[in-house]
Amino acid sequence: MSQDTKTNLAIDPVVLTEIYRQMARIRATDKAIQSGLLSGRFFFTYWPMTGQEAIPAVVSQLTGARDYMVTTYRGIHDQVAKGVDLFKLFAEAMGRIDGVNKGKGGAPHISDPASGSMLTTAIVGAGAPIANGLAFAAQARGEDRVTIVNFGDGATSIGAVHEAMNLAGAWKLPVIFMCQNNQIAEYTFIPDYTASPDFAGRAAGYGFTGVKLDSRDPIAFYKGMQAVIAQVRAGNGPVFVEAITHRHGPHAGVGDSKDITAEALALAKEAWPVPRTRALLLETGICTEVELAAMETAAAAEVEDAIIRALACKITPVEETLLDVYADATVPPQRGIYPVRAAESTPTGETKVMLMAEAIGDAQRTALLKDPGVFLLGEDIGDPPGGVFATSRGLQTEFGKRVRPTPIAEQAIIGCGTGAAIAGMRPVAEIMFNDFAGVCMDQIFNHAAKQRYMSGAATHVPLTIRMIVGGGLGGTGAQHSQSLEAWLLHTPGLKVVYPSTPFDAKGLLLSCIFDEDPCIHLEPMALLRSLKGEVPVEDYRIPLGVAKIRRPGTDITLISYGWQVNQCMVAAEELAKEEISAEIIDLRSLVPLDYHRVLDSVKKTRRALVVHAATEFCGFGGEIASTINEELFTTLKAPASRFGAAFAPIAYSREIETNQIPNARSIAARVRQMIAK
Amino acid sequence: MPDLLIPRLEMSMTEGDLVEWLVADGATVAEGDPIYTLEMAKATQDISAPAAGVLTQIAAKGQTYEVGTLIGKIT
Repeated sequence: MSQDTKTNLAIDPVVLTEIYRQMARIRATDKAIQSGLLSGRFFFTYWPMTGQEAIPAVVSQLTGARDYMVTTYRGIHDQVAKGVDLFKLFAEAMGRIDGVNKGKGGAPHISDPASGSMLTTAIVGAGAPIANGLAFAAQARGEDRVTIVNFGDGATSIGAVHEAMNLAGAWKLPVIFMCQNNQIAEYTFIPDYTASPDFAGRAAGYGFTGVKLDSRDPIAFYKGMQAVIAQVRAGNGPVFVEAITHRHGPHAGVGDSKDITAEALALAKEAWPVPRTRALLLETGICTEVELAAMETAAAAEVEDAIIRALACKITPVEETLLDVYADATVPPQRGIYPVRAAESTPTGETKVMLMAEAIGDAQRTALLKDPGVFLLGEDIGDPPGGVFATSRGLQTEFGKRVRPTPIAEQAIIGCGTGAAIAGMRPVAEIMFNDFAGVCMDQIFNHAAKQRYMSGAATHVPLTIRMIVGGGLGGTGAQHSQSLEAWLLHTPGLKVVYPSTPFDAKGLLLSCIFDEDPCIHLEPMALLRSLKGEVPVEDYRIPLGVAKIRRPGTDITLISYGWQVNQCMVAAEELAKEEISAEIIDLRSLVPLDYHRVLDSVKKTRRALVVHAATEFCGFGGEIASTINEELFTTLKAPASRFGAAFAPIAYSREIETNQIPNARSIAARVRQMIAK
Repeated sequence: MPDLLIPRLEMSMTEGDLVEWLVADGATVAEGDPIYTLEMAKATQDISAPAAGVLTQIAAKGQTYEVGTLIGKIT
């Protein structure tokens, strides 16, 4: 260990001074926030980090803006030391348009790519899988960046952190899991929340290094972190750091914590690295009192200037509501506004007959060839088998490490995709059956879907998620046969497509992969390996938000998507024998939704039925039927209606399954009823 | 120099009771000194001075005020 000869300290005095400068900036920020909240100068919810300043102050001396950081709502100290502009930080916390994220994320959702602060989550532990994705992007591109994900000791209990640690170990990702162990999980202590308090020791269980470092001694912490960061930067895989610290404040609010004893608080304050580092700088003669006071005054002035400017900014106005939900502000559905989107031109080149599964594989291959940022990850997608329905067969053989079979860990998969997408890659993540979406719903709807909005478009997530949907084969049961598109459609920020033909599957999937927003490509289990069709060999795109008339008709419009389109087609043939002419619209894209073509068709037929395999109650059909009724009330011969599955889990019994979901016979019966009315 | 407004210290808070001034009108306070007691729906908290200076009391104790009400100044 090198020692500075002047001071006998195991650290360069300049570095220690800079560590204190960051501590002073963090301290000034913390004090100004608490004072401002107490005096009523401004209001936002604050999760104080008083006591934890040394961790980012030290890390800031070992990392740069190129290194990625992910942190949590208790992360203002991390943001300050990372270099987020204080004016933009305060403006964001106050919900102002000039905030670093246009006031749309607020204090707990800072994203500032310029400083490397990539994402801040208010969901405990959820940052870890996303940090893996940022680290994956750096690794895939051969960059020497490290990614540091901060979280508290409370997050060591949650599944996302375990999934992330397992994946990081398996892939040797350049990521540091920084557990800021302030010894209290919100309001709950060890051993009430764990019988395994050796957090650093857990890393060995995942096959990588774990170290326990005392951040209350900034010099020792600096030395320890120097070794950790060097190890990770050199490509030796992840490290878990348990940084021992204290939290002086409450979980949320201001002042001292009332959750710990007065004795414990006194001990925490005695060990507080901010005054201790200050005293050390004085004692060793590295800084004079005048120099330290000047540093603190400068920090306070920087903060006060930031607050004054932030208070002068405009509150983020209502005009921003639909901006940054997607790249394109016409995507969010709005009452009375039905954009006309141009249909695709038909490709004229060579075609091949493909199964839908093969068309999906061909789309992925086309994307992998076109853009080096595209990569695939998911369960069992490697060769063999190339996915449970062989939708990625042969691609690992052809593209090697750009096709990544993953652990069975959906949060890790989606988080990795989200992080890599934020870093500018175009991940295609498969989670097998949509029934598994529940396992990773937080990653999908709280993170991938909202990141563009919460970051005020400072970041976005060009991620594609592939899921097998619906049953129809019989015997796959209640946990592998559901049609859960309504869960996804209820989440602003996601685009959802659902092809019914091999041709559309390829064209829609390519559009998804090269879209700038998170897209879900739903793949009907019933058709993947049973439906063949002509598929162009070339790269072609089906624009999102363009429905297609599959069959022209005059008496009723059947609106459907996915495998139910084919049930409607069979029903229409039956009805034609009875002189009932049904027009069939295949939505193809559910969000953005092509209300324009739907309403145009129903204006003509004056009757409409929406058909889907999903549960009818609270299903997408109710939404579409309601809009048709509102828009065309005086035109309709009968109220627009919807037809979906019975309100029961999908049965294991083939007989029940076939009958609980709309089929050609039951669809035809519903149409007859509607025409007779 | 700072105005003292009734703060919003709990998410659901719309008003608070100024229970007591802990420092006399016109007295000099140091930053961080407790200056008044605020009662909210869930808790009572002593509010500390955001800055050093002379306290001017504007609002009377023993009454309920809306969040954002000016109750004093430090000059």
